[in-house]
Amino acid sequence: MQQNRWLSWLSPLLLLVLWEGAVQAGILNRIFVPPPSEVVVALVDGLVDGSLVADVVVSSERIALGFLIGAIPATLLGIWSGLNRTVYYLVRPLATMLYPVPKIALLPLVIVVLGIGEVSKIATVAMSVFLMVVIHTIGGVMQVDRRYFEVGRLYGANQRTLFRTVALPASLPAIIEGWKLAMGFALTLIVGVEFVGASNGIGYRIWQSYELYAIADMMAAVCLIAALGWVLTVGLDEMERLLVPWRHTIKESRMPLVQKWWGAVRPWSYTAAIVPVLLGAAVAAHEVTLNWLWLALALVGSIAIQGGTNLMNDYYDYKKGTDTPAVKGTGGALLRGDMTPEQIFWAGIIAFAVGSAIGLYFVYATGPFILWLGLCSVAVGYFYTAGPFALAYVGLGELAVFIFMGPVMVLGSYYLQQPVIALPAIWAALPVSFVVAAILHANNLRDIDTDIINHKRTLATMLGRSGARVEFYVLVGGAFVSVLVLIALGLAPWPTLISFAMAPLAWRLMRTAATEEAAEKLHPVLRGSAVLHMRFGMLYVIGWVIALWV
Amino acid sequence: MQSTSPIVFERVGLTYPTGVTALTDITLSIAPRSAVALVGPSGCGKTTLLRTIAGLEQVSTGTLTVAAGATRAMVFQSGLLFPWMSVADNISYGLMARGMPALQCRDRARHWAERMGLQRFVDAYPHQLSGGMQQRVGIARALAIEPDIVLFDEPFAALDAQTRLLMQELVCDLQRQGVCGTMVFVTHAIDEALIVADRIIVMSARPGRIIADVTPQLPDVPIAQKRALPAFTQAFADIWAQIRSEVELQMHEEVR
Ligand SMILES: Nc1ncnc2c1ncn2[C@@H]1O[C@H](COP(=O)(O)OP(=O)(O)OP(=O)(O)O)[C@@H](O)[C@H]1O
Ligand SMILES: [Mg+2]
Repeated sequence: MQQNRWLSWLSPLLLLVLWEGAVQAGILNRIFVPPPSEVVVALVDGLVDGSLVADVVVSSERIALGFLIGAIPATLLGIWSGLNRTVYYLVRPLATMLYPVPKIALLPLVIVVLGIGEVSKIATVAMSVFLMVVIHTIGGVMQVDRRYFEVGRLYGANQRTLFRTVALPASLPAIIEGWKLAMGFALTLIVGVEFVGASNGIGYRIWQSYELYAIADMMAAVCLIAALGWVLTVGLDEMERLLVPWRHTIKESRMPLVQKWWGAVRPWSYTAAIVPVLLGAAVAAHEVTLNWLWLALALVGSIAIQGGTNLMNDYYDYKKGTDTPAVKGTGGALLRGDMTPEQIFWAGIIAFAVGSAIGLYFVYATGPFILWLGLCSVAVGYFYTAGPFALAYVGLGELAVFIFMGPVMVLGSYYLQQPVIALPAIWAALPVSFVVAAILHANNLRDIDTDIINHKRTLATMLGRSGARVEFYVLVGGAFVSVLVLIALGLAPWPTLISFAMAPLAWRLMRTAATEEAAEKLHPVLRGSAVLHMRFGMLYVIGWVIALWV
Repeated sequence: MQSTSPIVFERVGLTYPTGVTALTDITLSIAPRSAVALVGPSGCGKTTLLRTIAGLEQVSTGTLTVAAGATRAMVFQSGLLFPWMSVADNISYGLMARGMPALQCRDRARHWAERMGLQRFVDAYPHQLSGGMQQRVGIARALAIEPDIVLFDEPFAALDAQTRLLMQELVCDLQRQGVCGTMVFVTHAIDEALIVADRIIVMSARPGRIIADVTPQLPDVPIAQKRALPAFTQAFADIWAQIRSEVELQMHEEVR
């Protein structure tokens, strides 16, 4: 199960990384197969100079027009045929006969009749959409349980009321299904149509790039048409939720969209993603002037990866059925019916895509070191709970987090500003390492009883409750002690002492951890540890920043 | 409602276009505002008989007279609620179809929801409700139009035993309040028939004929007590004796 969860979203990531690596290592010819990082650059360039944007707009217009012109009359005719025998026998045989004809094969004919302009392109799309929608709509209306009509009639509905209250709503799900399929058709078709006899649009761009052998541009255009397809699919899904609410609601949810997603992605949990990146930049700022754009990109990338991880975890927890509606975050949102699993899944994929795109851009811009860092992180992430040697279940979870959410991330962020593998950056990360490990340990401490029952071997279960408490003191205390040691050794500037403003909070956490045993009493310690990480970490970073001037 | 019988069958027969004869020689007259239960082996034509009263099937022979202008409502075994409508819209469907303005519909829906203990679910969709709750909506939808004739087609067959008891109580209450008009209640369960109806009609295996018509005189007491009465057990035994051979016949029919 754990393996599946990882594999399903790891494989695309791995493919990208392998691809990048293969090109960087010279195994693949850069001319024929440009690395993903170059594709990202081409994509960004095309979007910034507006050429790709214009192509997307043109193609979207053609799709939208073709779809509307095809789908609206098809829906009406389909409903009519579904209800009326005469119309049915007139329409259905013709539609099924024409349906298997590949519409693209008719394009030359359409061009002969309608000329090579916009009209022929839109007409080809519209035709295909029309047939698809007609057939699905007829099917949808015909498959409505006849008994509903009987009930309607029994309760006094006339033909018009029957249509409005029974025929239409009952066949709507199938009709919308037809729209969705037709949209997929339209998308495929428009690319083919634009390959020939077009002077703009995404399809034209792809073909043009092929003729110029600008493979990276071509792939960028392919990415865009994929994104367009995704947007259209999501749009239709939303429309379905609106038109067919009875299919989706588990409980009528009136939570505003923003609030839903806020709860889903849990931005407050991102302190572990933010603090190390800021710290790396702050340390580097003592030696170079900062590249602010890259710092911002690194932050976005780091947050995206963390967000993707959150979303994916929720998705798979939901699939496994481990969450309950009370659970905060998306797992709970899913069960409350605020969001569909597909939405969560795709949001996770997008987050990973954004994160990987940024990572690949950095690889492109700074060389393979970042790639190795990224690869190691992914490997550790994978072996964290999966594989024969799951780190988290042999008591190495804290150590893994200590190393990777501390020194590795700080060094990565530092390296972007100054491409040197600098030991001072690694030392400077230690206080943050201690607190981030404390968060994980607070979690294990809370779950110690259930973990023992489930034979989960965390450091906490190995040490026993009293040993686990001592470990918590060591980790929280270690954060503060390490600051003192670093200052004493001259590895951190003295203003970082302001992080001691969080000592009272740390003390309270340790006191609670020392006295409480019940999981729900220990839960605040977990939350508090995350808060401590954020505040302590930010103050520590601010100390480094202040030291730039004093 | 006038004092003449609102439903009169005279030598009614019904043969489906497929050639299946579902009813033969049904002669039956149902008194106004009475509660009649219809029991019989499965496939004997109970549903068919209800559907003829509802006007959903035409009789092939004989005559069926339903009082002119009598409004009819039906509660189905599978509920047949409209899944795309909220509970409130389902309840007021008959009123809406008859042209009542939306606001008033909403009002009546609320009224009936409350009466059925559904007030918390007016905005829910049927699939969000339990089976028992769905049947309450089905009953509310039927009663909201204040029908002269209410037809129940095994409405509680799919419910668990406790919920079924609760629903039987509900139907008895509604009947006592006089909102069920003339009621015809189809059921497989003899005890259910004895609880909800005053008069019980037993049908034969297909093609359905009437083989017994009993009116046990049971006092009007809570159903838990009613079941323990000697008269109840006696009536149960009598009806079972009548029906037993028919059920066996039906079983052999199915083997063949
Ligand atoms: N629309 C129809 N067309 C053809 N035959 C039908 C139709 N409806 C019912 N029948 C047949 O008529 C017979 C009586 O059916 P009916 O549904 O009235 O029985 P029932 O007593 O309600 O059975 P059950 O107890 O299973 O509900 C059955 O043999 C059935 O197969
Ligand atoms: Mg039946």
